[in-house]
Amino acid sequence: MNSSRSRTLGMLGTYVAYVVILVVFLGPVAFMFWGSLHRSGQIASSPPDFTAAATFDNYVKLFQNMDFGRYLVNSIVISGGATLIGLAAGACAAYCIARLGLRLLSLVTLVARMAPGVLFLIPLRVVAIKFGALESVPLNYILLILVHLIITLPLCVWLLLPFFEGIPTSIQEAAEIDGCNLRRTFWVIALPMVKPGLAVAGVISFIFSWNYFLFALALANVNTLPMTVIAFNFIGIGQYDWGGLMAAAVIIAAPTTLLTLFAQRFLVRGLAGGAVK
Amino acid sequence: MAAATTRGPAANTPERRRLRESWALLLPAVIISLALVVFPILYATGLALSPPDATDIAFDQLTVETFRTVFTDPVFWSSVWVTMLIYVGSLIPQLILGTLIGYVLSRHVPGGRILQTLTLVPSLTASVVVGLVWLLLYDPSLGILNYLLEVVGIPRQDWLGDPDKVVWSLILIEIWQWTPLVALIVNAGIRNLPSEPFEAARVDGARWWQTGWHIGLPLLRPVLTVVALLRTVDLVRYFDTGYIMTQGGPLNASTTMNIYAYRNAFAELRLAPGSAAQLALFALVLLLAGLFTWLRRRSELES
Repeated sequence: MNSSRSRTLGMLGTYVAYVVILVVFLGPVAFMFWGSLHRSGQIASSPPDFTAAATFDNYVKLFQNMDFGRYLVNSIVISGGATLIGLAAGACAAYCIARLGLRLLSLVTLVARMAPGVLFLIPLRVVAIKFGALESVPLNYILLILVHLIITLPLCVWLLLPFFEGIPTSIQEAAEIDGCNLRRTFWVIALPMVKPGLAVAGVISFIFSWNYFLFALALANVNTLPMTVIAFNFIGIGQYDWGGLMAAAVIIAAPTTLLTLFAQRFLVRGLAGGAVK
Repeated sequence: MAAATTRGPAANTPERRRLRESWALLLPAVIISLALVVFPILYATGLALSPPDATDIAFDQLTVETFRTVFTDPVFWSSVWVTMLIYVGSLIPQLILGTLIGYVLSRHVPGGRILQTLTLVPSLTASVVVGLVWLLLYDPSLGILNYLLEVVGIPRQDWLGDPDKVVWSLILIEIWQWTPLVALIVNAGIRNLPSEPFEAARVDGARWWQTGWHIGLPLLRPVLTVVALLRTVDLVRYFDTGYIMTQGGPLNASTTMNIYAYRNAFAELRLAPGSAAQLALFALVLLLAGLFTWLRRRSELES
Protein backbone atom coordinates (compact mmCIF):
# COMPACT_ATOMS: atom_id res chain seq x y z
CA MET A 1 0.00 0.00 0.00
CA ASN A 2 1.46 3.34 -1.07
CA SER A 3 1.34 5.60 1.99
CA SER A 4 0.83 8.91 0.18
CA ARG A 5 -2.05 7.43 -1.83
CA SER A 6 -3.69 6.07 1.32
CA ARG A 7 -3.31 9.48 2.95
CA THR A 8 -5.04 11.14 0.01
CA LEU A 9 -7.82 8.58 0.24
CA GLY A 10 -8.11 9.16 3.98
CA MET A 11 -8.36 12.90 3.41
CA LEU A 12 -10.96 12.41 0.70
CA GLY A 13 -12.96 10.17 3.04
CA THR A 14 -12.77 12.82 5.75
CA TYR A 15 -14.08 15.48 3.38
CA VAL A 16 -16.93 13.24 2.27
CA ALA A 17 -17.82 12.68 5.93
CA TYR A 18 -17.63 16.45 6.54
CA VAL A 19 -20.04 17.14 3.70
CA VAL A 20 -22.54 14.61 5.09
CA ILE A 21 -22.21 16.07 8.59
CA LEU A 22 -22.70 19.63 7.35
CA VAL A 23 -25.72 18.75 5.20
CA VAL A 24 -27.41 16.97 8.11
CA PHE A 25 -26.68 19.55 10.80
CA LEU A 26 -26.82 22.75 8.76
CA GLY A 27 -29.49 21.72 6.24
CA PRO A 28 -32.37 22.81 8.49
CA VAL A 29 -30.52 26.03 9.37
CA ALA A 30 -29.95 26.81 5.68
CA PHE A 31 -33.60 26.05 4.93
CA MET A 32 -34.63 28.49 7.67
CA PHE A 33 -32.44 31.21 6.14
CA TRP A 34 -33.77 30.51 2.64
CA GLY A 35 -37.33 30.49 3.99
CA SER A 36 -36.90 33.88 5.64
CA LEU A 37 -36.23 35.36 2.18
CA HIS A 38 -39.31 33.87 0.49
CA ARG A 39 -43.09 34.01 0.61
CA SER A 40 -45.01 31.49 2.70
CA GLY A 41 -46.57 29.90 -0.36
CA GLN A 42 -43.13 29.16 -1.80
CA ILE A 43 -41.80 27.71 1.48
CA ALA A 44 -44.68 25.56 2.63
CA SER A 45 -45.40 23.65 -0.55
CA SER A 46 -44.50 20.19 -1.67
CA PRO A 47 -41.79 20.52 -2.98
CA PRO A 48 -40.64 24.03 -1.90
CA ASP A 49 -40.20 26.43 -4.83
CA PHE A 50 -36.41 26.82 -4.84
CA THR A 51 -36.48 28.78 -8.11
CA ALA A 52 -38.34 31.76 -6.63
CA ALA A 53 -36.54 35.10 -6.28
CA ALA A 54 -35.42 36.26 -2.85
CA THR A 55 -37.08 39.19 -1.11
CA PHE A 56 -36.66 41.01 2.19
CA ASP A 57 -40.41 41.49 2.59
CA ASN A 58 -40.67 39.17 5.62
CA TYR A 59 -38.12 41.23 7.55
CA VAL A 60 -39.69 44.54 6.54
CA LYS A 61 -43.14 43.32 7.62
CA LEU A 62 -41.76 41.98 10.89
CA PHE A 63 -40.33 45.33 11.91
CA GLN A 64 -43.10 47.51 10.47
CA ASN A 65 -46.27 45.59 11.36
CA MET A 66 -45.12 43.50 14.27
CA ASP A 67 -42.95 46.04 16.08
CA PHE A 68 -40.23 43.40 16.26
CA GLY A 69 -37.56 45.98 17.06
CA ARG A 70 -39.02 46.44 20.53
CA TYR A 71 -38.75 42.72 21.29
CA LEU A 72 -35.18 42.72 19.98
CA VAL A 73 -34.34 45.52 22.42
CA ASN A 74 -36.08 43.59 25.24
CA SER A 75 -33.93 40.52 24.52
CA ILE A 76 -30.76 42.63 24.55
CA VAL A 77 -31.72 44.40 27.80
CA ILE A 78 -32.58 41.16 29.64
CA SER A 79 -29.66 39.03 28.46
CA GLY A 80 -27.17 41.89 28.50
CA GLY A 81 -28.16 42.94 32.02
CA ALA A 82 -28.10 39.40 33.37
CA THR A 83 -24.71 38.77 31.75
CA LEU A 84 -23.08 41.93 33.13
CA ILE A 85 -24.37 41.44 36.70
CA GLY A 86 -23.63 37.71 36.58
CA LEU A 87 -20.11 38.40 35.36
CA ALA A 88 -19.41 41.00 38.05
CA ALA A 89 -20.85 39.03 40.97
CA GLY A 90 -19.52 35.76 39.56
CA ALA A 91 -15.97 37.03 39.17
CA CYS A 92 -15.85 38.27 42.80
CA ALA A 93 -17.32 35.01 44.08
CA ALA A 94 -15.17 32.74 41.90
CA TYR A 95 -12.04 34.53 43.13
CA CYS A 96 -13.00 33.99 46.78
CA ILE A 97 -13.88 30.33 46.11
CA ALA A 98 -10.51 29.84 44.40
CA ARG A 99 -8.65 31.39 47.35
CA LEU A 100 -10.73 30.18 50.30
CA GLY A 101 -12.59 27.04 49.29
CA LEU A 102 -16.13 28.04 50.42
CA ARG A 103 -17.73 24.75 49.49
CA LEU A 104 -21.22 25.79 50.52
CA LEU A 105 -21.36 28.64 48.00
CA SER A 106 -20.06 26.49 45.16
CA LEU A 107 -22.65 23.87 46.12
CA VAL A 108 -25.46 26.45 45.84
CA THR A 109 -24.32 27.47 42.36
CA LEU A 110 -24.21 23.79 41.39
CA VAL A 111 -27.78 23.34 42.66
CA ALA A 112 -28.84 26.32 40.53
CA ARG A 113 -27.28 24.61 37.52
CA MET A 114 -29.06 21.30 38.15
CA ALA A 115 -32.50 22.21 39.46
CA PRO A 116 -35.31 22.53 36.89
CA GLY A 117 -36.25 26.16 36.19
CA VAL A 118 -39.93 25.77 37.12
CA LEU A 119 -38.86 25.00 40.71
CA PHE A 120 -37.57 28.58 41.05
CA LEU A 121 -40.32 29.99 38.89
CA ILE A 122 -43.32 29.00 41.02
CA PRO A 123 -42.18 30.81 44.21
CA LEU A 124 -40.70 33.74 42.30
CA ARG A 125 -43.97 34.27 40.45
CA VAL A 126 -45.92 34.27 43.74
CA VAL A 127 -43.55 36.91 45.14
CA ALA A 128 -43.59 38.92 41.90
CA ILE A 129 -47.39 39.09 42.00
CA LYS A 130 -47.22 40.40 45.59
CA PHE A 131 -44.88 43.18 44.51
CA GLY A 132 -46.89 43.97 41.38
CA ALA A 133 -43.83 43.14 39.28
CA LEU A 134 -45.82 41.37 36.57
CA GLU A 135 -47.72 44.45 35.36
CA SER A 136 -45.25 47.27 35.99
CA VAL A 137 -42.82 47.66 33.09
CA PRO A 138 -39.66 48.82 34.94
CA LEU A 139 -40.19 46.30 37.77
CA ASN A 140 -40.74 43.54 35.22
CA TYR A 141 -37.46 44.32 33.44
CA ILE A 142 -35.65 44.17 36.79
CA LEU A 143 -37.44 40.92 37.65
CA LEU A 144 -36.50 39.30 34.33
CA ILE A 145 -32.85 40.38 34.63
CA LEU A 146 -32.68 39.07 38.20
CA VAL A 147 -34.30 35.74 37.34
CA HIS A 148 -31.91 35.23 34.42
CA LEU A 149 -29.09 35.51 36.96
CA ILE A 150 -30.10 31.96 37.94
CA ILE A 151 -28.56 30.99 34.59
CA THR A 152 -25.68 33.44 34.25
CA LEU A 153 -24.26 33.56 37.79
CA PRO A 154 -23.54 29.81 38.20
CA LEU A 155 -22.13 29.68 34.65
CA CYS A 156 -19.79 32.60 35.35
CA VAL A 157 -18.63 31.14 38.67
CA TRP A 158 -17.88 27.71 37.19
CA LEU A 159 -16.26 29.05 34.04
CA LEU A 160 -14.05 31.55 35.90
CA LEU A 161 -12.93 29.21 38.69
CA PRO A 162 -10.23 27.42 36.65
CA PHE A 163 -8.86 30.78 35.48
CA PHE A 164 -8.50 32.11 39.04
CA GLU A 165 -7.10 28.78 40.23
CA GLY A 166 -4.48 29.03 37.49
CA ILE A 167 -2.94 32.19 38.97
CA PRO A 168 0.17 31.24 40.96
CA THR A 169 -0.42 31.64 44.71
CA SER A 170 3.06 33.09 45.15
CA ILE A 171 2.18 36.24 43.16
CA GLN A 172 -0.89 36.89 45.27
CA GLU A 173 0.82 36.20 48.57
CA ALA A 174 3.67 38.50 47.61
CA ALA A 175 1.14 41.26 46.98
CA GLU A 176 -0.46 40.63 50.35
CA ILE A 177 2.89 40.78 52.12
CA ASP A 178 3.36 44.17 50.42
CA GLY A 179 0.22 45.31 52.21
CA CYS A 180 -2.58 44.60 49.71
CA ASN A 181 -5.69 43.17 51.27
CA LEU A 182 -7.69 40.45 49.49
CA ARG A 183 -9.95 42.88 47.66
CA ARG A 184 -7.04 44.89 46.33
CA THR A 185 -5.18 41.76 45.23
CA PHE A 186 -8.31 40.70 43.36
CA TRP A 187 -8.72 44.07 41.67
CA VAL A 188 -5.09 44.86 40.82
CA ILE A 189 -3.59 41.43 40.20
CA ALA A 190 -6.12 38.64 39.67
CA LEU A 191 -8.76 40.38 37.53
CA PRO A 192 -6.38 41.66 34.81
CA MET A 193 -4.91 38.15 34.57
CA VAL A 194 -8.25 36.46 33.81
CA LYS A 195 -9.43 38.74 30.99
CA PRO A 196 -9.71 35.81 28.54
CA GLY A 197 -11.84 33.99 31.12
CA LEU A 198 -14.14 36.98 31.46
CA ALA A 199 -14.65 36.99 27.68
CA VAL A 200 -15.49 33.26 27.61
CA ALA A 201 -17.84 33.45 30.59
CA GLY A 202 -19.51 36.56 29.17
CA VAL A 203 -20.11 35.02 25.74
CA ILE A 204 -21.43 31.70 27.07
CA SER A 205 -23.65 33.38 29.67
CA PHE A 206 -25.10 35.69 27.07
CA ILE A 207 -25.84 32.83 24.65
CA PHE A 208 -27.51 30.72 27.34
CA SER A 209 -29.64 33.49 28.78
CA TRP A 210 -30.58 34.65 25.24
CA ASN A 211 -31.75 31.14 24.38
CA TYR A 212 -33.53 30.43 27.69
CA PHE A 213 -37.20 30.92 27.15
CA LEU A 214 -39.00 29.47 30.15
CA PHE A 215 -38.50 32.36 32.59
CA ALA A 216 -39.72 35.02 30.20
CA LEU A 217 -42.60 32.78 29.11
CA ALA A 218 -43.94 32.74 32.65
CA LEU A 219 -42.98 36.20 33.92
CA ALA A 220 -42.78 38.74 31.07
CA ASN A 221 -45.65 41.07 30.18
CA VAL A 222 -46.71 42.49 26.81
CA ASN A 223 -44.17 45.32 27.01
CA THR A 224 -41.14 43.35 28.19
CA LEU A 225 -41.42 40.17 26.07
CA PRO A 226 -38.14 39.01 24.54
CA MET A 227 -38.06 37.77 20.94
CA THR A 228 -38.09 34.10 21.90
CA VAL A 229 -41.49 34.38 23.60
CA ILE A 230 -43.09 36.56 20.92
CA ALA A 231 -41.95 34.08 18.26
CA PHE A 232 -43.58 31.30 20.29
CA ASN A 233 -46.79 33.36 20.52
CA PHE A 234 -46.77 33.84 16.72
CA ILE A 235 -47.09 30.06 16.30
CA GLY A 236 -50.50 30.03 17.91
CA ILE A 237 -51.96 32.81 15.77
CA GLY A 238 -54.22 31.00 13.29
CA GLN A 239 -52.72 30.83 9.82
CA TYR A 240 -49.02 30.04 9.77
CA ASP A 241 -47.08 32.90 8.27
CA TRP A 242 -44.05 30.70 7.61
CA GLY A 243 -42.03 33.44 5.96
CA GLY A 244 -42.46 35.77 8.93
CA LEU A 245 -41.74 32.97 11.41
CA MET A 246 -38.52 32.03 9.61
CA ALA A 247 -37.42 35.68 9.51
CA ALA A 248 -38.04 35.94 13.27
CA ALA A 249 -36.08 32.70 13.76
CA VAL A 250 -33.13 34.07 11.76
CA ILE A 251 -33.03 37.27 13.82
CA ILE A 252 -33.11 35.29 17.10
CA ALA A 253 -30.40 32.90 15.88
CA ALA A 254 -28.09 35.50 14.31
CA PRO A 255 -26.38 36.95 17.44
CA THR A 256 -25.69 33.56 19.04
CA THR A 257 -24.42 32.18 15.71
CA LEU A 258 -22.04 35.12 15.24
CA LEU A 259 -20.76 34.78 18.82
CA THR A 260 -20.26 31.05 18.23
CA LEU A 261 -18.25 31.68 15.08
CA PHE A 262 -16.03 34.24 16.82
CA ALA A 263 -15.46 32.39 20.06
CA GLN A 264 -15.52 28.71 19.03
CA ARG A 265 -11.96 28.03 20.15
CA PHE A 266 -12.79 29.04 23.75
CA LEU A 267 -16.40 27.87 23.76
CA VAL A 268 -15.70 24.16 23.62
CA ARG A 269 -13.47 24.19 26.68
CA GLY A 270 -16.03 26.29 28.53
CA LEU A 271 -18.94 24.08 27.54
CA ALA A 272 -17.07 20.85 28.24
CA GLY A 273 -17.59 21.21 31.99
CA GLY A 274 -14.13 20.00 32.93
CA ALA A 275 -14.15 17.10 30.45
CA VAL A 276 -11.29 18.68 28.54
CA LYS A 277 -8.38 20.40 30.18
CA MET B 1 -15.28 45.63 60.97
CA ALA B 2 -16.78 42.21 60.70
CA ALA B 3 -16.38 40.37 63.96
CA ALA B 4 -14.60 37.16 63.10
CA THR B 5 -15.15 34.24 65.40
CA THR B 6 -12.06 34.38 67.53
CA ARG B 7 -10.61 31.22 68.91
CA GLY B 8 -7.32 32.12 70.50
CA PRO B 9 -4.29 32.75 68.33
CA ALA B 10 -5.83 31.08 65.27
CA ALA B 11 -7.85 34.25 64.72
CA ASN B 12 -4.93 35.95 63.09
CA THR B 13 -3.84 33.29 60.61
CA PRO B 14 -3.71 34.60 57.04
CA GLU B 15 -6.58 32.27 56.17
CA ARG B 16 -8.83 33.93 58.76
CA ARG B 17 -7.76 37.39 57.72
CA ARG B 18 -8.56 36.65 54.09
CA LEU B 19 -11.97 35.34 55.05
CA ARG B 20 -12.63 38.58 56.95
CA GLU B 21 -11.53 40.66 53.99
CA SER B 22 -13.59 38.70 51.48
CA TRP B 23 -17.09 39.52 52.69
CA ALA B 24 -17.57 42.53 50.43
CA LEU B 25 -16.58 40.47 47.38
CA LEU B 26 -18.88 37.64 48.36
CA LEU B 27 -21.89 39.74 49.28
CA PRO B 28 -23.46 40.14 45.80
CA ALA B 29 -23.22 36.45 44.90
CA VAL B 30 -24.42 35.39 48.35
CA ILE B 31 -27.44 37.70 48.22
CA ILE B 32 -28.34 36.55 44.69
CA SER B 33 -27.93 32.88 45.69
CA LEU B 34 -30.08 33.28 48.81
CA ALA B 35 -32.82 35.26 47.08
CA LEU B 36 -33.00 33.38 43.79
CA VAL B 37 -31.87 29.84 44.60
CA VAL B 38 -32.12 28.96 48.31
CA PHE B 39 -35.31 30.88 49.11
CA PRO B 40 -37.30 29.60 46.09
CA ILE B 41 -36.33 25.99 46.82
CA LEU B 42 -37.41 26.30 50.47
CA TYR B 43 -40.59 28.11 49.40
CA ALA B 44 -41.40 25.45 46.80
CA THR B 45 -40.83 22.76 49.44
CA GLY B 46 -43.28 24.57 51.71
CA LEU B 47 -45.83 24.77 48.90
CA ALA B 48 -45.42 21.08 48.13
CA LEU B 49 -46.13 20.31 51.80
CA SER B 50 -49.32 22.41 51.76
CA PRO B 51 -52.75 21.07 50.73
CA PRO B 52 -53.18 20.44 46.96
CA ASP B 53 -55.33 23.53 46.36
CA ALA B 54 -53.19 25.95 48.43
CA THR B 55 -52.30 29.29 46.85
CA ASP B 56 -49.54 29.94 49.39
CA ILE B 57 -47.70 28.00 52.09
CA ALA B 58 -50.20 26.81 54.70
CA PHE B 59 -47.95 26.63 57.77
CA ASP B 60 -50.78 25.51 60.03
CA GLN B 61 -51.77 22.49 57.96
CA LEU B 62 -48.58 20.92 56.60
CA THR B 63 -49.32 17.59 54.98
CA VAL B 64 -47.99 15.06 52.48
CA GLU B 65 -51.39 15.01 50.78
CA THR B 66 -50.09 16.92 47.75
CA PHE B 67 -47.33 14.40 47.15
CA ARG B 68 -49.93 11.65 47.41
CA THR B 69 -52.11 13.47 44.86
CA VAL B 70 -49.22 13.76 42.43
CA PHE B 71 -47.94 10.22 42.95
CA THR B 72 -51.40 8.75 42.33
CA ASP B 73 -51.92 10.78 39.15
CA PRO B 74 -51.53 8.50 36.11
CA VAL B 75 -50.47 11.52 33.99
CA PHE B 76 -47.54 12.08 36.37
CA TRP B 77 -46.33 8.50 35.92
CA SER B 78 -46.75 8.73 32.17
CA SER B 79 -44.65 11.91 32.34
CA VAL B 80 -41.94 9.99 34.23
CA TRP B 81 -42.00 7.35 31.48
CA VAL B 82 -41.87 9.95 28.68
CA THR B 83 -38.97 11.71 30.46
CA MET B 84 -36.95 8.50 30.74
CA LEU B 85 -37.75 7.57 27.14
CA ILE B 86 -36.54 10.94 25.83
CA TYR B 87 -33.51 10.74 28.12
CA VAL B 88 -32.31 7.26 27.17
CA GLY B 89 -33.52 7.53 23.57
CA SER B 90 -31.54 10.74 23.04
CA LEU B 91 -28.46 10.13 25.17
CA ILE B 92 -27.35 6.83 23.61
CA PRO B 93 -27.49 7.99 19.96
CA GLN B 94 -25.90 11.31 20.98
CA LEU B 95 -22.96 9.52 22.56
CA ILE B 96 -22.48 7.02 19.71
CA LEU B 97 -22.92 9.53 16.86
CA GLY B 98 -21.06 12.20 18.79
CA THR B 99 -18.06 9.91 19.24
CA LEU B 100 -18.01 8.95 15.55
CA ILE B 101 -18.38 12.56 14.39
CA GLY B 102 -15.85 13.68 17.01
CA TYR B 103 -13.39 11.22 15.46
CA VAL B 104 -14.03 12.64 11.98
CA LEU B 105 -13.59 16.19 13.28
CA SER B 106 -10.27 15.28 14.90
CA ARG B 107 -8.70 14.38 11.52
CA HIS B 108 -6.42 17.19 10.46
CA VAL B 109 -7.49 18.46 7.05
CA PRO B 110 -7.25 21.94 5.55
CA GLY B 111 -10.31 23.99 6.47
CA GLY B 112 -11.28 21.62 9.27
CA ARG B 113 -11.62 24.32 11.91
CA ILE B 114 -14.26 26.26 9.99
CA LEU B 115 -16.26 23.09 9.45
CA GLN B 116 -16.06 22.28 13.17
CA THR B 117 -17.38 25.71 14.10
CA LEU B 118 -20.28 25.42 11.69
CA THR B 119 -21.37 22.08 13.15
CA LEU B 120 -21.75 23.67 16.58
CA VAL B 121 -24.47 26.08 15.40
CA PRO B 122 -27.52 23.87 16.23
CA SER B 123 -26.41 23.37 19.84
CA LEU B 124 -26.13 27.08 20.54
CA THR B 125 -29.33 28.13 18.82
CA ALA B 126 -32.44 28.96 20.83
CA SER B 127 -34.96 26.13 21.26
CA VAL B 128 -37.66 28.44 19.94
CA VAL B 129 -35.77 28.69 16.65
CA VAL B 130 -35.19 24.94 16.54
CA GLY B 131 -38.87 24.35 17.31
CA LEU B 132 -40.05 26.74 14.60
CA VAL B 133 -37.81 25.25 11.92
CA TRP B 134 -38.78 21.67 12.75
CA LEU B 135 -42.48 22.52 12.88
CA LEU B 136 -42.05 23.55 9.26
CA LEU B 137 -39.94 20.50 8.34
CA TYR B 138 -42.41 18.15 10.07
CA ASP B 139 -45.55 19.77 8.65
CA PRO B 140 -47.63 16.73 7.59
CA SER B 141 -48.90 18.06 4.23
CA LEU B 142 -46.42 20.80 3.32
CA GLY B 143 -43.23 19.86 5.14
CA ILE B 144 -40.10 19.02 3.21
CA LEU B 145 -39.45 15.84 5.23
CA ASN B 146 -42.66 14.15 4.08
CA TYR B 147 -41.91 15.28 0.52
CA LEU B 148 -38.47 13.62 0.72
CA LEU B 149 -40.03 10.45 2.17
CA GLU B 150 -42.51 10.39 -0.70
CA VAL B 151 -39.70 10.72 -3.25
CA VAL B 152 -38.06 7.56 -1.88
CA GLY B 153 -41.43 5.80 -1.65
CA ILE B 154 -42.16 5.90 2.09
CA PRO B 155 -45.68 7.02 3.08
CA ARG B 156 -46.15 10.46 4.68
CA GLN B 157 -45.88 10.54 8.48
CA ASP B 158 -47.91 12.51 11.01
CA TRP B 159 -44.76 13.38 12.97
CA LEU B 160 -46.24 15.39 15.81
CA GLY B 161 -49.93 14.53 15.67
CA ASP B 162 -49.63 10.78 16.27
CA PRO B 163 -49.31 9.89 20.00
CA ASP B 164 -47.16 6.87 19.11
CA LYS B 165 -44.69 8.89 17.03
CA VAL B 166 -44.46 12.27 18.73
CA VAL B 167 -41.79 11.31 21.30
CA TRP B 168 -39.60 9.80 18.59
CA SER B 169 -39.98 12.94 16.50
CA LEU B 170 -38.84 15.03 19.48
CA ILE B 171 -35.94 12.63 20.14
CA LEU B 172 -34.84 13.06 16.51
CA ILE B 173 -34.67 16.85 17.00
CA GLU B 174 -32.85 16.43 20.30
CA ILE B 175 -30.23 14.23 18.62
CA TRP B 176 -29.88 16.73 15.78
CA GLN B 177 -29.49 19.68 18.15
CA TRP B 178 -27.04 18.30 20.71
CA THR B 179 -24.91 15.69 18.93
CA PRO B 180 -22.63 18.46 17.58
CA LEU B 181 -21.76 19.60 21.10
CA VAL B 182 -20.97 16.02 22.15
CA ALA B 183 -18.86 15.65 18.99
CA LEU B 184 -16.86 18.80 19.70
CA ILE B 185 -16.10 17.83 23.28
CA VAL B 186 -15.10 14.31 22.19
CA ASN B 187 -12.98 15.87 19.45
CA ALA B 188 -11.18 18.05 22.01
CA GLY B 189 -10.74 14.93 24.16
CA ILE B 190 -9.24 12.97 21.26
CA ARG B 191 -6.74 15.76 20.58
CA ASN B 192 -5.60 15.54 24.21
CA LEU B 193 -4.94 11.80 24.07
CA PRO B 194 -1.32 10.59 24.21
CA SER B 195 -0.09 9.47 20.79
CA GLU B 196 2.23 6.64 21.93
CA PRO B 197 -0.37 3.85 22.33
CA PHE B 198 -1.78 4.60 18.87
CA GLU B 199 1.63 4.58 17.23
CA ALA B 200 2.52 1.31 18.97
CA ALA B 201 -0.71 -0.24 17.69
CA ARG B 202 -0.02 0.98 14.16
CA VAL B 203 3.46 -0.55 14.27
CA ASP B 204 1.86 -3.82 15.39
CA GLY B 205 -0.35 -3.68 12.30
CA ALA B 206 -3.71 -3.01 13.96
CA ARG B 207 -6.52 -1.69 11.78
CA TRP B 208 -7.86 1.82 12.54
CA TRP B 209 -11.15 0.49 13.85
CA GLN B 210 -9.36 -2.00 16.13
CA THR B 211 -7.21 0.81 17.50
CA GLY B 212 -10.26 2.98 18.04
CA TRP B 213 -12.22 0.27 19.81
CA HIS B 214 -9.48 -1.20 22.00
CA ILE B 215 -7.32 1.86 22.71
CA GLY B 216 -9.21 5.06 21.86
CA LEU B 217 -12.53 4.32 23.59
CA PRO B 218 -11.08 3.19 26.94
CA LEU B 219 -8.88 6.30 27.02
CA LEU B 220 -11.88 8.49 26.19
CA ARG B 221 -14.04 7.02 28.92
CA PRO B 222 -13.51 9.89 31.39
CA VAL B 223 -14.47 12.46 28.73
CA LEU B 224 -17.54 10.47 27.72
CA THR B 225 -18.62 10.18 31.35
CA VAL B 226 -18.53 13.96 31.80
CA VAL B 227 -20.41 14.50 28.53
CA ALA B 228 -23.03 11.97 29.62
CA LEU B 229 -23.37 13.84 32.94
CA LEU B 230 -23.82 17.20 31.19
CA ARG B 231 -26.43 15.81 28.81
CA THR B 232 -28.20 13.94 31.64
CA VAL B 233 -28.81 17.13 33.61
CA ASP B 234 -30.34 18.80 30.54
CA LEU B 235 -32.29 15.84 29.16
CA VAL B 236 -34.02 14.87 32.40
CA ARG B 237 -35.23 18.47 32.65
CA TYR B 238 -36.48 18.35 29.04
CA PHE B 239 -38.90 21.20 28.45
CA ASP B 240 -38.21 23.79 25.77
CA THR B 241 -38.50 22.17 22.37
CA GLY B 242 -41.28 19.84 23.45
CA TYR B 243 -43.37 22.60 24.97
CA ILE B 244 -42.85 24.85 21.96
CA MET B 245 -43.87 22.19 19.44
CA THR B 246 -46.58 20.18 21.17
CA GLN B 247 -47.27 21.68 24.63
CA GLY B 248 -47.07 18.08 25.83
CA GLY B 249 -49.70 16.73 23.46
CA PRO B 250 -51.33 14.96 21.76
CA LEU B 251 -53.09 13.26 24.72
CA ASN B 252 -50.11 13.93 27.03
CA ALA B 253 -47.99 11.66 24.79
CA SER B 254 -45.08 14.12 24.97
CA THR B 255 -45.69 15.48 28.49
CA THR B 256 -42.36 15.21 30.30
CA MET B 257 -42.05 15.72 34.08
CA ASN B 258 -41.01 19.32 33.56
CA ILE B 259 -43.90 20.04 31.17
CA TYR B 260 -46.31 18.29 33.57
CA ALA B 261 -45.21 20.50 36.45
CA TYR B 262 -45.27 23.66 34.34
CA ARG B 263 -48.79 23.03 33.09
CA ASN B 264 -49.93 22.21 36.63
CA ALA B 265 -48.48 25.38 38.09
CA PHE B 266 -49.11 27.89 35.31
CA ALA B 267 -51.98 26.64 33.18
CA GLU B 268 -54.12 25.15 35.94
CA LEU B 269 -52.67 27.37 38.71
CA ARG B 270 -52.18 24.35 40.97
CA LEU B 271 -49.03 25.63 42.68
CA ALA B 272 -48.67 22.89 45.29
CA PRO B 273 -48.82 19.87 42.94
CA GLY B 274 -46.59 21.74 40.49
CA SER B 275 -43.98 22.26 43.23
CA ALA B 276 -44.22 18.65 44.39
CA ALA B 277 -43.70 17.36 40.84
CA GLN B 278 -40.72 19.71 40.43
CA LEU B 279 -39.14 18.43 43.65
CA ALA B 280 -39.55 14.86 42.38
CA LEU B 281 -37.87 15.87 39.13
CA PHE B 282 -35.04 17.62 41.01
CA ALA B 283 -34.50 14.47 43.08
CA LEU B 284 -34.28 12.44 39.86
CA VAL B 285 -31.70 14.84 38.37
CA LEU B 286 -29.60 14.66 41.55
CA LEU B 287 -29.84 10.87 41.63
CA LEU B 288 -28.66 10.45 38.03
CA ALA B 289 -26.01 13.17 38.34
CA GLY B 290 -24.74 11.45 41.49
CA LEU B 291 -24.54 8.16 39.62
CA PHE B 292 -22.42 9.65 36.81
CA THR B 293 -20.22 11.53 39.28
CA TRP B 294 -19.60 8.23 41.08
CA LEU B 295 -18.76 6.54 37.77
CA ARG B 296 -16.38 9.37 36.94
CA ARG B 297 -14.60 9.06 40.29
CA ARG B 298 -14.31 5.33 39.84
CA SER B 299 -12.81 5.61 36.35
CA GLU B 300 -10.38 8.26 37.66
CA LEU B 301 -9.26 5.93 40.45
CA GLU B 302 -8.72 3.12 37.96
CA SER B 303 -6.56 5.14 35.58
